[in-house]
Amino acid sequence: MLCVYGTEHFYKLQGENKLTINRIERKYVPFAYAFLIPTIAVFLLFYLIPIVTVVFTSFTRWDGFNTPVFNGLTNYLRFFSQSSFLISLRNLLLWSLIAATLHVGFGVLVAFILFQKPKGWKAVRGVYMIPNIVSSAAMAMIFRFMFNNDFGFLNSMIRLVSPSFQVNWFFESPWAFIAITLTWLFYGAIITLIVLGDLMSIPSDLHDAARIDGATGFQAVLHIQLPLCRYAIGTSIILSITSRIAMYEAIALTTRGGPGDDTMNIPIILVKAITDFNYGLANAAAVFMFLMGIFTLWIVNRLFRMNNPIY
Amino acid sequence: MSDTSHIRYTLKKSGTTLFLYIIMLFVFLISVFPVLWVVMSSFKDNSAILSSPFSLPERFDFTPFVQVFTQYNFGMYTINSLVIASVATIVSLMIYSMGAYSIAKFRFPGKNLFYLLFTLTLLVPPHTKAQPIFSLITSLGLSDTRLALIFVYISFGMAISMFVMRVSFMSIPDSLNEAAFIEGASFWRVYWSIDLPLAKTGLATSGIMMFLGNWNEYFYAMLLTSSPQVRTLPLALAFFTEAFSYDYTQMFAALTIVILPGIIMYIITQEQVQASVASTGVKG
Repeated sequence: MLCVYGTEHFYKLQGENKLTINRIERKYVPFAYAFLIPTIAVFLLFYLIPIVTVVFTSFTRWDGFNTPVFNGLTNYLRFFSQSSFLISLRNLLLWSLIAATLHVGFGVLVAFILFQKPKGWKAVRGVYMIPNIVSSAAMAMIFRFMFNNDFGFLNSMIRLVSPSFQVNWFFESPWAFIAITLTWLFYGAIITLIVLGDLMSIPSDLHDAARIDGATGFQAVLHIQLPLCRYAIGTSIILSITSRIAMYEAIALTTRGGPGDDTMNIPIILVKAITDFNYGLANAAAVFMFLMGIFTLWIVNRLFRMNNPIY
Repeated sequence: MSDTSHIRYTLKKSGTTLFLYIIMLFVFLISVFPVLWVVMSSFKDNSAILSSPFSLPERFDFTPFVQVFTQYNFGMYTINSLVIASVATIVSLMIYSMGAYSIAKFRFPGKNLFYLLFTLTLLVPPHTKAQPIFSLITSLGLSDTRLALIFVYISFGMAISMFVMRVSFMSIPDSLNEAAFIEGASFWRVYWSIDLPLAKTGLATSGIMMFLGNWNEYFYAMLLTSSPQVRTLPLALAFFTEAFSYDYTQMFAALTIVILPGIIMYIITQEQVQASVASTGVKG
Protein backbone atom coordinates (compact mmCIF):
# COMPACT_ATOMS: atom_id res chain seq x y z
CA MET A 1 0.00 0.00 0.00
CA LEU A 2 1.72 3.08 -1.30
CA CYS A 3 5.29 3.70 -0.29
CA VAL A 4 4.65 2.17 3.06
CA TYR A 5 3.98 -1.28 1.74
CA GLY A 6 6.17 -0.44 -1.22
CA THR A 7 9.25 -0.20 0.96
CA GLU A 8 8.20 -3.34 2.79
CA HIS A 9 8.08 -5.24 -0.49
CA PHE A 10 11.34 -3.64 -1.41
CA TYR A 11 13.18 -5.09 1.56
CA LYS A 12 11.63 -8.51 1.01
CA LEU A 13 12.61 -8.43 -2.65
CA GLN A 14 16.18 -7.51 -1.77
CA GLY A 15 16.52 -10.67 0.28
CA GLU A 16 15.10 -12.67 -2.58
CA ASN A 17 17.57 -11.22 -5.02
CA LYS A 18 20.62 -12.25 -3.04
CA LEU A 19 20.06 -15.78 -4.35
CA THR A 20 22.26 -16.39 -7.33
CA ILE A 21 20.64 -16.18 -10.71
CA ASN A 22 21.10 -19.54 -12.37
CA ARG A 23 22.12 -20.20 -15.93
CA ILE A 24 18.68 -20.90 -17.36
CA GLU A 25 17.36 -17.74 -15.80
CA ARG A 26 20.27 -15.74 -17.11
CA LYS A 27 19.17 -16.60 -20.61
CA TYR A 28 15.98 -14.60 -20.07
CA VAL A 29 17.51 -11.56 -18.43
CA PRO A 30 17.92 -9.61 -21.71
CA PHE A 31 14.24 -10.24 -22.55
CA ALA A 32 13.18 -9.20 -19.07
CA TYR A 33 15.02 -5.91 -19.55
CA ALA A 34 13.55 -5.48 -23.01
CA PHE A 35 10.06 -5.82 -21.51
CA LEU A 36 10.86 -3.01 -19.08
CA ILE A 37 11.91 -0.58 -21.81
CA PRO A 38 8.45 0.90 -22.57
CA THR A 39 7.75 1.46 -18.85
CA ILE A 40 11.18 2.98 -18.36
CA ALA A 41 10.58 5.28 -21.34
CA VAL A 42 7.32 6.56 -19.83
CA PHE A 43 9.04 6.94 -16.48
CA LEU A 44 11.87 9.00 -17.95
CA LEU A 45 9.71 11.20 -20.17
CA PHE A 46 6.83 11.87 -17.78
CA TYR A 47 8.39 11.56 -14.34
CA LEU A 48 12.16 11.73 -14.05
CA ILE A 49 12.91 14.42 -16.64
CA PRO A 50 9.96 16.63 -15.57
CA ILE A 51 10.93 16.36 -11.90
CA VAL A 52 14.58 17.16 -12.61
CA THR A 53 13.45 20.08 -14.79
CA VAL A 54 11.17 21.34 -12.02
CA VAL A 55 13.94 21.25 -9.43
CA PHE A 56 16.55 22.90 -11.67
CA THR A 57 14.38 25.61 -13.17
CA SER A 58 13.02 26.55 -9.75
CA PHE A 59 16.37 28.32 -9.34
CA THR A 60 16.04 30.23 -12.61
CA ARG A 61 14.07 33.04 -14.19
CA TRP A 62 12.21 31.39 -17.05
CA ASP A 63 9.25 32.25 -19.25
CA GLY A 64 9.34 29.00 -21.23
CA PHE A 65 10.56 30.64 -24.46
CA ASN A 66 13.94 32.16 -23.63
CA THR A 67 16.68 30.13 -21.98
CA PRO A 68 16.39 29.90 -18.20
CA VAL A 69 18.61 32.35 -16.33
CA PHE A 70 19.98 31.26 -12.96
CA ASN A 71 18.69 33.55 -10.24
CA GLY A 72 19.41 31.63 -7.05
CA LEU A 73 16.71 31.63 -4.43
CA THR A 74 14.81 34.58 -5.90
CA ASN A 75 11.77 32.45 -6.86
CA TYR A 76 11.62 30.89 -3.42
CA LEU A 77 11.94 34.24 -1.68
CA ARG A 78 9.21 35.69 -3.89
CA PHE A 79 7.01 32.64 -3.37
CA PHE A 80 7.42 32.69 0.42
CA SER A 81 6.86 36.43 0.69
CA GLN A 82 3.55 36.40 -1.21
CA SER A 83 0.69 37.01 1.17
CA SER A 84 -1.26 34.29 -0.66
CA PHE A 85 1.49 31.80 0.29
CA LEU A 86 1.10 32.50 3.99
CA ILE A 87 -2.65 32.01 3.74
CA SER A 88 -2.09 28.82 1.70
CA LEU A 89 0.24 27.52 4.36
CA ARG A 90 -2.25 28.32 7.12
CA ASN A 91 -5.02 26.62 5.13
CA LEU A 92 -2.82 23.60 4.44
CA LEU A 93 -1.98 23.24 8.13
CA LEU A 94 -5.62 23.55 9.16
CA TRP A 95 -6.86 21.21 6.45
CA SER A 96 -4.12 18.66 7.19
CA LEU A 97 -5.02 18.74 10.87
CA ILE A 98 -8.71 18.25 10.09
CA ALA A 99 -7.84 15.52 7.56
CA ALA A 100 -5.60 13.61 9.97
CA THR A 101 -8.13 13.75 12.83
CA LEU A 102 -11.79 14.19 11.85
CA HIS A 103 -11.60 12.96 8.25
CA VAL A 104 -9.48 9.86 8.92
CA GLY A 105 -11.34 9.33 12.20
CA PHE A 106 -14.66 9.25 10.42
CA GLY A 107 -13.36 6.86 7.75
CA VAL A 108 -11.99 4.55 10.46
CA LEU A 109 -15.24 4.74 12.42
CA VAL A 110 -17.20 3.68 9.35
CA ALA A 111 -14.75 0.82 8.78
CA PHE A 112 -15.23 -0.44 12.34
CA ILE A 113 -18.99 -0.17 11.98
CA LEU A 114 -19.02 -2.07 8.69
CA PHE A 115 -16.70 -4.68 10.22
CA GLN A 116 -19.54 -5.62 12.61
CA LYS A 117 -21.37 -6.66 9.42
CA PRO A 118 -24.69 -5.02 10.29
CA LYS A 119 -27.55 -5.50 7.85
CA GLY A 120 -26.83 -3.58 4.66
CA TRP A 121 -23.10 -3.14 5.27
CA LYS A 122 -22.19 -4.21 1.76
CA ALA A 123 -24.55 -1.69 0.21
CA VAL A 124 -23.12 1.11 2.37
CA ARG A 125 -19.56 0.05 1.50
CA GLY A 126 -20.56 0.04 -2.16
CA VAL A 127 -22.20 3.47 -2.34
CA TYR A 128 -19.64 5.19 -0.10
CA MET A 129 -17.15 4.93 -2.96
CA ILE A 130 -19.41 6.76 -5.44
CA PRO A 131 -18.30 10.33 -4.57
CA ASN A 132 -14.71 9.15 -5.11
CA ILE A 133 -15.58 7.61 -8.46
CA VAL A 134 -17.19 10.79 -9.79
CA SER A 135 -14.72 13.16 -11.46
CA SER A 136 -13.39 15.64 -8.93
CA ALA A 137 -14.29 18.40 -11.41
CA ALA A 138 -17.90 17.20 -11.56
CA MET A 139 -17.94 16.76 -7.78
CA ALA A 140 -16.84 20.40 -7.39
CA MET A 141 -19.75 21.45 -9.62
CA ILE A 142 -22.18 19.34 -7.63
CA PHE A 143 -21.04 21.02 -4.44
CA ARG A 144 -21.27 24.44 -6.03
CA PHE A 145 -24.89 23.68 -6.90
CA MET A 146 -25.73 22.01 -3.58
CA PHE A 147 -24.31 24.97 -1.63
CA ASN A 148 -25.92 27.54 -3.93
CA ASN A 149 -27.98 30.09 -2.03
CA ASP A 150 -30.90 30.15 -4.51
CA PHE A 151 -31.50 26.57 -5.50
CA GLY A 152 -28.95 24.67 -3.40
CA PHE A 153 -30.12 21.74 -1.39
CA LEU A 154 -28.16 22.63 1.74
CA ASN A 155 -29.69 26.05 2.30
CA SER A 156 -33.17 24.78 1.48
CA MET A 157 -32.72 22.24 4.22
CA ILE A 158 -31.39 24.79 6.71
CA ARG A 159 -34.32 27.10 5.87
CA LEU A 160 -36.71 24.39 7.01
CA VAL A 161 -35.35 25.14 10.50
CA SER A 162 -34.44 28.81 10.20
CA PRO A 163 -36.36 30.37 7.30
CA SER A 164 -34.29 33.57 7.05
CA PHE A 165 -31.00 31.75 6.49
CA GLN A 166 -29.02 33.31 3.60
CA VAL A 167 -25.42 32.31 2.96
CA ASN A 168 -23.47 32.22 -0.30
CA TRP A 169 -21.23 29.42 0.90
CA PHE A 170 -18.42 29.60 -1.62
CA PHE A 171 -18.39 33.39 -1.91
CA GLU A 172 -18.55 34.71 1.63
CA SER A 173 -15.96 34.80 4.36
CA PRO A 174 -15.67 32.76 6.60
CA TRP A 175 -18.13 30.30 5.02
CA ALA A 176 -15.98 29.54 1.97
CA PHE A 177 -13.31 27.80 4.04
CA ILE A 178 -15.96 25.68 5.76
CA ALA A 179 -17.64 24.89 2.44
CA ILE A 180 -14.37 23.69 0.87
CA THR A 181 -13.71 21.58 3.96
CA LEU A 182 -17.16 20.02 3.70
CA THR A 183 -16.49 18.92 0.11
CA TRP A 184 -14.14 16.21 1.43
CA LEU A 185 -14.60 15.98 5.20
CA PHE A 186 -16.97 13.01 5.30
CA TYR A 187 -15.89 11.36 2.07
CA GLY A 188 -13.43 8.86 3.52
CA ALA A 189 -14.32 5.79 1.46
CA ILE A 190 -10.70 5.03 0.57
CA ILE A 191 -9.76 5.12 4.27
CA THR A 192 -12.71 2.90 5.11
CA LEU A 193 -11.76 0.35 2.45
CA ILE A 194 -8.08 0.24 3.47
CA VAL A 195 -8.88 -0.12 7.18
CA LEU A 196 -11.66 -2.61 6.55
CA GLY A 197 -9.26 -4.70 4.48
CA ASP A 198 -6.79 -4.79 7.37
CA LEU A 199 -9.53 -5.56 9.91
CA MET A 200 -10.73 -8.50 7.85
CA SER A 201 -7.23 -9.92 7.61
CA ILE A 202 -6.73 -10.03 11.39
CA PRO A 203 -6.33 -13.74 12.22
CA SER A 204 -9.53 -14.97 13.86
CA ASP A 205 -7.63 -16.61 16.74
CA LEU A 206 -6.68 -13.12 17.92
CA HIS A 207 -10.37 -12.22 18.27
CA ASP A 208 -11.03 -15.54 20.00
CA ALA A 209 -8.12 -15.05 22.41
CA ALA A 210 -9.39 -11.59 23.30
CA ARG A 211 -12.88 -12.93 23.92
CA ILE A 212 -11.59 -15.75 26.12
CA ASP A 213 -9.54 -13.25 28.11
CA GLY A 214 -12.81 -11.43 28.78
CA ALA A 215 -12.33 -8.40 26.55
CA THR A 216 -15.63 -6.68 25.80
CA GLY A 217 -16.38 -5.33 22.34
CA PHE A 218 -15.02 -1.87 23.03
CA GLN A 219 -11.88 -3.14 24.74
CA ALA A 220 -11.17 -5.47 21.84
CA VAL A 221 -11.47 -2.53 19.46
CA LEU A 222 -9.23 -0.29 21.54
CA HIS A 223 -6.49 -2.72 22.47
CA ILE A 224 -6.43 -5.24 19.66
CA GLN A 225 -8.09 -4.13 16.43
CA LEU A 226 -7.03 -0.48 16.44
CA PRO A 227 -3.32 -1.17 17.04
CA LEU A 228 -3.38 -3.92 14.41
CA CYS A 229 -4.67 -1.41 11.86
CA ARG A 230 -1.73 0.87 12.51
CA TYR A 231 -0.39 0.62 8.96
CA ALA A 232 -3.76 1.21 7.38
CA ILE A 233 -4.47 4.24 9.57
CA GLY A 234 -0.98 5.66 8.99
CA THR A 235 -1.35 5.17 5.25
CA SER A 236 -4.77 6.83 5.37
CA ILE A 237 -3.31 9.86 7.12
CA ILE A 238 -0.54 10.10 4.52
CA LEU A 239 -3.05 9.77 1.68
CA SER A 240 -5.46 12.32 3.10
CA ILE A 241 -2.78 14.92 3.84
CA THR A 242 -1.13 14.50 0.44
CA SER A 243 -4.55 14.97 -1.17
CA ARG A 244 -4.90 18.23 0.76
CA ILE A 245 -1.51 19.36 -0.55
CA ALA A 246 -2.57 18.56 -4.13
CA MET A 247 -6.24 19.66 -3.89
CA TYR A 248 -7.03 21.62 -7.03
CA GLU A 249 -10.40 21.05 -8.70
CA ALA A 250 -12.44 21.40 -5.50
CA ILE A 251 -11.07 24.94 -5.18
CA ALA A 252 -10.43 26.02 -8.77
CA LEU A 253 -14.00 25.23 -9.83
CA THR A 254 -15.70 26.73 -6.78
CA THR A 255 -14.05 29.63 -4.95
CA ARG A 256 -10.89 30.01 -7.10
CA GLY A 257 -9.06 30.70 -3.84
CA GLY A 258 -11.43 33.46 -2.77
CA PRO A 259 -13.14 35.34 -1.29
CA GLY A 260 -10.01 37.45 -0.95
CA ASP A 261 -7.43 34.72 -0.44
CA ASP A 262 -9.54 32.80 2.09
CA THR A 263 -9.32 29.40 0.43
CA MET A 264 -6.01 29.87 -1.41
CA ASN A 265 -3.74 26.87 -1.72
CA ILE A 266 -0.43 26.03 -3.36
CA PRO A 267 -1.71 24.34 -6.57
CA ILE A 268 -3.81 27.44 -7.28
CA ILE A 269 -0.72 29.66 -6.91
CA LEU A 270 1.25 27.22 -9.11
CA VAL A 271 -1.28 27.25 -11.93
CA LYS A 272 -1.56 31.01 -11.79
CA ALA A 273 2.24 31.28 -12.11
CA ILE A 274 2.13 29.02 -15.18
CA THR A 275 -0.54 31.10 -16.86
CA ASP A 276 1.57 34.19 -16.08
CA PHE A 277 4.53 32.46 -17.86
CA ASN A 278 6.44 32.66 -14.62
CA TYR A 279 7.74 29.11 -14.82
CA GLY A 280 10.52 29.56 -12.28
CA LEU A 281 8.04 30.59 -9.62
CA ALA A 282 5.61 27.80 -10.59
CA ASN A 283 8.37 25.24 -10.20
CA ALA A 284 9.48 26.67 -6.86
CA ALA A 285 5.90 26.09 -5.69
CA ALA A 286 6.07 22.54 -7.12
CA VAL A 287 9.31 21.82 -5.24
CA PHE A 288 7.63 23.07 -2.08
CA MET A 289 4.76 20.63 -2.70
CA PHE A 290 7.21 17.72 -3.13
CA LEU A 291 8.95 18.61 0.10
CA MET A 292 5.66 18.86 2.01
CA GLY A 293 4.72 15.40 0.71
CA ILE A 294 8.04 13.88 1.74
CA PHE A 295 7.82 15.57 5.14
CA THR A 296 4.32 14.16 5.69
CA LEU A 297 5.51 10.70 4.71
CA TRP A 298 8.48 10.87 7.03
CA ILE A 299 6.64 12.20 10.05
CA VAL A 300 3.67 9.81 9.80
CA ASN A 301 6.05 6.90 9.23
CA ARG A 302 7.85 7.81 12.44
CA LEU A 303 4.69 8.43 14.46
CA PHE A 304 3.06 5.15 13.44
CA ARG A 305 6.30 3.15 13.47
CA MET A 306 5.34 1.94 10.04
CA ASN A 307 8.68 0.29 9.35
CA ASN A 308 8.24 -2.12 12.25
CA PRO A 309 6.30 -5.30 11.58
CA ILE A 310 2.84 -5.58 13.16
CA TYR A 311 2.57 -9.30 13.78
CA MET B 1 -27.90 -11.98 35.32
CA SER B 2 -30.49 -10.03 37.30
CA ASP B 3 -33.42 -8.43 35.56
CA THR B 4 -32.25 -4.83 35.82
CA SER B 5 -28.75 -5.47 34.58
CA HIS B 6 -30.20 -7.48 31.73
CA ILE B 7 -32.40 -4.53 30.75
CA ARG B 8 -29.46 -2.18 31.05
CA TYR B 9 -27.41 -4.48 28.83
CA THR B 10 -30.15 -4.65 26.21
CA LEU B 11 -30.59 -0.87 26.30
CA LYS B 12 -26.87 -0.31 25.90
CA LYS B 13 -26.73 -2.77 23.07
CA SER B 14 -29.69 -1.24 21.26
CA GLY B 15 -28.13 2.19 21.85
CA THR B 16 -24.96 1.03 20.11
CA THR B 17 -26.98 -0.52 17.33
CA LEU B 18 -28.91 2.72 16.88
CA PHE B 19 -25.67 4.73 16.70
CA LEU B 20 -24.32 2.23 14.19
CA TYR B 21 -27.31 2.58 11.91
CA ILE B 22 -27.40 6.37 12.21
CA ILE B 23 -23.81 6.55 10.96
CA MET B 24 -24.58 4.06 8.19
CA LEU B 25 -27.64 6.02 7.12
CA PHE B 26 -25.59 9.23 7.15
CA VAL B 27 -22.89 7.66 4.96
CA PHE B 28 -25.52 6.30 2.60
CA LEU B 29 -27.23 9.69 2.28
CA ILE B 30 -24.11 11.81 1.75
CA SER B 31 -22.94 9.35 -0.91
CA VAL B 32 -26.13 8.80 -2.84
CA PHE B 33 -28.04 12.01 -2.36
CA PRO B 34 -25.81 14.47 -4.27
CA VAL B 35 -25.90 12.27 -7.37
CA LEU B 36 -29.60 11.57 -7.03
CA TRP B 37 -30.34 15.27 -6.57
CA VAL B 38 -28.40 16.14 -9.73
CA VAL B 39 -30.17 13.49 -11.80
CA MET B 40 -33.62 14.45 -10.44
CA SER B 41 -33.04 18.14 -11.01
CA SER B 42 -32.17 17.51 -14.64
CA PHE B 43 -35.79 16.48 -15.16
CA LYS B 44 -37.26 19.61 -13.55
CA ASP B 45 -37.71 23.06 -15.06
CA ASN B 46 -35.99 26.13 -13.63
CA SER B 47 -38.90 27.18 -11.43
CA ALA B 48 -39.30 23.71 -9.93
CA ILE B 49 -35.57 23.58 -9.17
CA LEU B 50 -35.83 26.93 -7.37
CA SER B 51 -39.11 26.44 -5.54
CA SER B 52 -39.13 22.78 -4.56
CA PRO B 53 -35.63 21.32 -4.34
CA PHE B 54 -36.79 18.14 -2.58
CA SER B 55 -39.63 17.17 -4.87
CA LEU B 56 -39.48 14.33 -7.33
CA PRO B 57 -39.67 15.34 -10.98
CA GLU B 58 -43.23 15.37 -12.30
CA ARG B 59 -42.34 13.71 -15.57
CA PHE B 60 -39.29 12.38 -17.31
CA ASP B 61 -38.59 14.80 -20.11
CA PHE B 62 -35.37 14.08 -21.97
CA THR B 63 -35.44 17.31 -24.02
CA PRO B 64 -32.68 19.02 -21.95
CA PHE B 65 -30.43 16.00 -22.56
CA VAL B 66 -31.13 16.09 -26.27
CA GLN B 67 -30.45 19.84 -26.29
CA VAL B 68 -27.17 19.47 -24.42
CA PHE B 69 -26.10 16.73 -26.82
CA THR B 70 -27.16 18.36 -30.06
CA GLN B 71 -26.86 22.11 -29.52
CA TYR B 72 -23.84 22.15 -27.24
CA ASN B 73 -21.73 19.39 -28.81
CA PHE B 74 -21.79 17.05 -25.84
CA GLY B 75 -21.94 14.19 -28.32
CA MET B 76 -18.54 15.17 -29.63
CA TYR B 77 -17.13 15.70 -26.13
CA THR B 78 -18.41 12.27 -25.08
CA ILE B 79 -16.71 10.67 -28.07
CA ASN B 80 -13.49 12.57 -27.29
CA SER B 81 -13.58 11.40 -23.68
CA LEU B 82 -14.33 7.85 -24.71
CA VAL B 83 -11.59 7.69 -27.35
CA ILE B 84 -8.93 9.36 -25.20
CA ALA B 85 -9.73 7.31 -22.08
CA SER B 86 -9.94 4.00 -23.96
CA VAL B 87 -6.83 4.40 -26.10
CA ALA B 88 -4.79 5.55 -23.10
CA THR B 89 -6.07 2.61 -21.05
CA ILE B 90 -5.34 0.00 -23.71
CA VAL B 91 -1.84 1.30 -24.45
CA SER B 92 -1.13 1.53 -20.69
CA LEU B 93 -2.22 -2.07 -20.24
CA MET B 94 0.18 -3.19 -22.97
CA ILE B 95 3.13 -1.18 -21.67
CA TYR B 96 2.68 -1.86 -17.96
CA SER B 97 1.69 -5.51 -18.26
CA MET B 98 5.06 -6.12 -19.92
CA GLY B 99 6.85 -4.19 -17.20
CA ALA B 100 4.95 -5.83 -14.35
CA TYR B 101 5.44 -9.26 -15.93
CA SER B 102 9.17 -8.77 -16.14
CA ILE B 103 9.37 -7.64 -12.52
CA ALA B 104 7.03 -10.35 -11.21
CA LYS B 105 8.48 -13.33 -13.02
CA PHE B 106 12.21 -12.79 -13.54
CA ARG B 107 15.22 -11.99 -11.45
CA PHE B 108 17.75 -9.51 -12.73
CA PRO B 109 19.92 -6.82 -11.20
CA GLY B 110 18.01 -3.63 -10.48
CA LYS B 111 14.48 -5.00 -10.58
CA ASN B 112 13.67 -3.86 -7.05
CA LEU B 113 14.92 -0.39 -7.80
CA PHE B 114 12.71 -0.25 -10.89
CA TYR B 115 9.67 -1.45 -8.94
CA LEU B 116 10.32 1.11 -6.23
CA LEU B 117 10.75 3.95 -8.73
CA PHE B 118 7.65 3.00 -10.74
CA THR B 119 5.43 2.81 -7.67
CA LEU B 120 6.86 5.93 -6.04
CA THR B 121 5.47 7.90 -9.01
CA LEU B 122 2.21 7.75 -7.09
CA LEU B 123 3.59 10.25 -4.61
CA VAL B 124 4.23 12.92 -7.22
CA PRO B 125 1.25 15.29 -7.23
CA PRO B 126 0.19 15.60 -10.90
CA HIS B 127 0.10 19.40 -10.73
CA THR B 128 3.77 19.71 -9.83
CA LYS B 129 4.83 18.45 -13.28
CA ALA B 130 2.47 20.83 -15.06
CA GLN B 131 5.07 23.14 -16.56
CA PRO B 132 7.58 20.50 -17.83
CA ILE B 133 4.78 18.41 -19.33
CA PHE B 134 3.22 21.49 -20.91
CA SER B 135 6.62 22.30 -22.44
CA LEU B 136 7.22 18.68 -23.49
CA ILE B 137 3.85 18.47 -25.26
CA THR B 138 4.43 21.84 -26.95
CA SER B 139 7.91 20.84 -28.13
CA LEU B 140 6.49 17.60 -29.56
CA GLY B 141 4.03 19.74 -31.50
CA LEU B 142 1.12 18.01 -29.79
CA SER B 143 -0.49 20.88 -27.93
CA ASP B 144 -4.26 20.97 -28.36
CA THR B 145 -4.51 17.39 -29.65
CA ARG B 146 -6.14 14.25 -28.34
CA LEU B 147 -2.78 12.53 -28.58
CA ALA B 148 -1.32 14.91 -25.96
CA LEU B 149 -3.91 13.82 -23.41
CA ILE B 150 -3.48 10.17 -24.35
CA PHE B 151 0.26 10.40 -23.66
CA VAL B 152 -0.21 12.11 -20.33
CA TYR B 153 -2.96 9.72 -19.22
CA ILE B 154 -0.78 6.73 -20.12
CA SER B 155 1.80 8.01 -17.65
CA PHE B 156 -0.79 8.29 -14.85
CA GLY B 157 -1.51 4.55 -14.74
CA MET B 158 2.04 3.51 -13.89
CA ALA B 159 1.89 3.00 -10.13
CA ILE B 160 -1.52 1.36 -9.91
CA SER B 161 -0.75 -1.00 -12.81
CA MET B 162 2.48 -2.03 -11.19
CA PHE B 163 0.78 -2.68 -7.84
CA VAL B 164 -2.11 -4.66 -9.27
CA MET B 165 -0.55 -6.50 -12.20
CA ARG B 166 2.65 -7.53 -10.44
CA VAL B 167 0.63 -9.33 -7.74
CA SER B 168 -1.53 -10.85 -10.44
CA PHE B 169 1.44 -12.25 -12.38
CA MET B 170 3.11 -13.45 -9.19
CA SER B 171 0.09 -15.56 -8.31
CA ILE B 172 0.60 -17.65 -11.45
CA PRO B 173 2.69 -20.76 -10.57
CA ASP B 174 6.24 -20.54 -11.94
CA SER B 175 6.06 -24.18 -13.04
CA LEU B 176 3.86 -23.16 -15.97
CA ASN B 177 6.57 -20.87 -17.32
CA GLU B 178 9.29 -23.42 -16.72
CA ALA B 179 7.38 -26.13 -18.58
CA ALA B 180 6.70 -23.82 -21.50
CA PHE B 181 10.34 -22.71 -21.71
CA ILE B 182 11.52 -26.33 -21.65
CA GLU B 183 9.10 -27.07 -24.50
CA GLY B 184 10.96 -24.36 -26.41
CA ALA B 185 8.33 -21.61 -26.36
CA SER B 186 9.72 -18.11 -26.98
CA PHE B 187 9.77 -15.42 -24.30
CA TRP B 188 7.04 -13.43 -26.03
CA ARG B 189 4.87 -16.47 -26.59
CA VAL B 190 5.03 -17.50 -22.92
CA TYR B 191 4.02 -13.98 -21.92
CA TRP B 192 1.31 -13.60 -24.53
CA SER B 193 -0.28 -17.06 -24.58
CA ILE B 194 0.26 -18.31 -21.04
CA ASP B 195 0.72 -15.57 -18.45
CA LEU B 196 -1.32 -12.73 -19.91
CA PRO B 197 -4.57 -14.76 -20.17
CA LEU B 198 -4.07 -16.05 -16.63
CA ALA B 199 -3.56 -12.52 -15.29
CA LYS B 200 -6.79 -11.22 -16.79
CA THR B 201 -8.34 -10.34 -13.41
CA GLY B 202 -5.41 -8.06 -12.67
CA LEU B 203 -5.54 -6.61 -16.17
CA ALA B 204 -9.25 -5.95 -15.81
CA THR B 205 -8.86 -4.31 -12.41
CA SER B 206 -6.06 -1.99 -13.42
CA GLY B 207 -7.85 -1.31 -16.71
CA ILE B 208 -11.00 -0.23 -14.87
CA MET B 209 -9.08 1.96 -12.43
CA MET B 210 -7.12 3.63 -15.22
CA PHE B 211 -10.19 4.16 -17.39
CA LEU B 212 -12.08 5.81 -14.52
CA GLY B 213 -9.10 8.05 -13.78
CA ASN B 214 -8.77 9.03 -17.45
CA TRP B 215 -12.49 9.58 -17.89
CA ASN B 216 -12.53 11.94 -14.91
CA GLU B 217 -9.32 13.88 -15.50
CA TYR B 218 -9.73 17.64 -15.60
CA PHE B 219 -6.46 19.41 -14.84
CA TYR B 220 -4.30 18.31 -17.78
CA ALA B 221 -7.26 18.49 -20.16
CA MET B 222 -7.57 22.15 -19.13
CA LEU B 223 -3.83 22.78 -19.40
CA LEU B 224 -3.11 21.04 -22.72
CA THR B 225 -6.20 21.64 -24.86
CA SER B 226 -8.01 24.77 -25.91
CA SER B 227 -10.19 24.08 -28.96
CA PRO B 228 -13.65 22.51 -28.59
CA GLN B 229 -12.84 19.79 -31.15
CA VAL B 230 -10.59 17.95 -28.69
CA ARG B 231 -12.40 18.88 -25.46
CA THR B 232 -13.24 16.14 -22.96
CA LEU B 233 -16.40 15.94 -20.84
CA PRO B 234 -15.10 17.25 -17.47
CA LEU B 235 -13.63 20.28 -19.22
CA ALA B 236 -16.75 20.79 -21.32
CA LEU B 237 -18.77 20.74 -18.12
CA ALA B 238 -16.67 23.51 -16.60
CA PHE B 239 -17.09 25.66 -19.74
CA PHE B 240 -20.79 24.91 -19.95
CA THR B 241 -21.57 25.89 -16.38
CA GLU B 242 -19.63 29.13 -16.80
CA ALA B 243 -21.57 30.07 -19.93
CA PHE B 244 -25.06 28.83 -19.12
CA SER B 245 -25.35 29.36 -15.40
CA TYR B 246 -28.92 30.65 -15.84
CA ASP B 247 -30.31 27.45 -17.35
CA TYR B 248 -30.31 25.15 -14.35
CA THR B 249 -32.05 22.23 -16.05
CA GLN B 250 -29.45 22.01 -18.79
CA MET B 251 -26.63 22.42 -16.28
CA PHE B 252 -27.93 19.47 -14.30
CA ALA B 253 -28.45 17.49 -17.52
CA ALA B 254 -24.84 18.17 -18.55
CA LEU B 255 -23.63 17.11 -15.10
CA THR B 256 -25.67 13.92 -15.32
CA ILE B 257 -24.13 13.11 -18.70
CA VAL B 258 -20.66 13.52 -17.21
CA ILE B 259 -21.10 11.59 -13.97
CA LEU B 260 -23.45 8.75 -14.89
CA PRO B 261 -21.17 6.64 -17.16
CA GLY B 262 -18.48 6.45 -14.48
CA ILE B 263 -21.01 5.55 -11.78
CA ILE B 264 -22.60 2.85 -13.94
CA MET B 265 -19.18 1.44 -14.71
CA TYR B 266 -18.39 1.43 -11.00
CA ILE B 267 -21.63 -0.31 -10.07
CA ILE B 268 -20.90 -3.09 -12.59
CA THR B 269 -17.32 -3.58 -11.44
CA GLN B 270 -17.55 -2.53 -7.79
CA GLU B 271 -16.06 -5.73 -6.34
CA GLN B 272 -12.85 -5.23 -8.31
CA VAL B 273 -12.68 -1.50 -7.68
CA GLN B 274 -13.15 -1.97 -3.93
CA ALA B 275 -10.57 -4.73 -3.74
CA SER B 276 -8.11 -2.62 -5.69
CA VAL B 277 -8.65 0.47 -3.52
CA ALA B 278 -8.37 -1.61 -0.34
CA SER B 279 -5.00 -3.02 -1.37
CA THR B 280 -3.45 0.03 -3.04
CA GLY B 281 -5.15 3.10 -1.55
CA VAL B 282 -5.39 4.56 -5.06
CA LYS B 283 -8.63 5.46 -6.73
CA GLY B 284 -7.25 5.54 -10.26
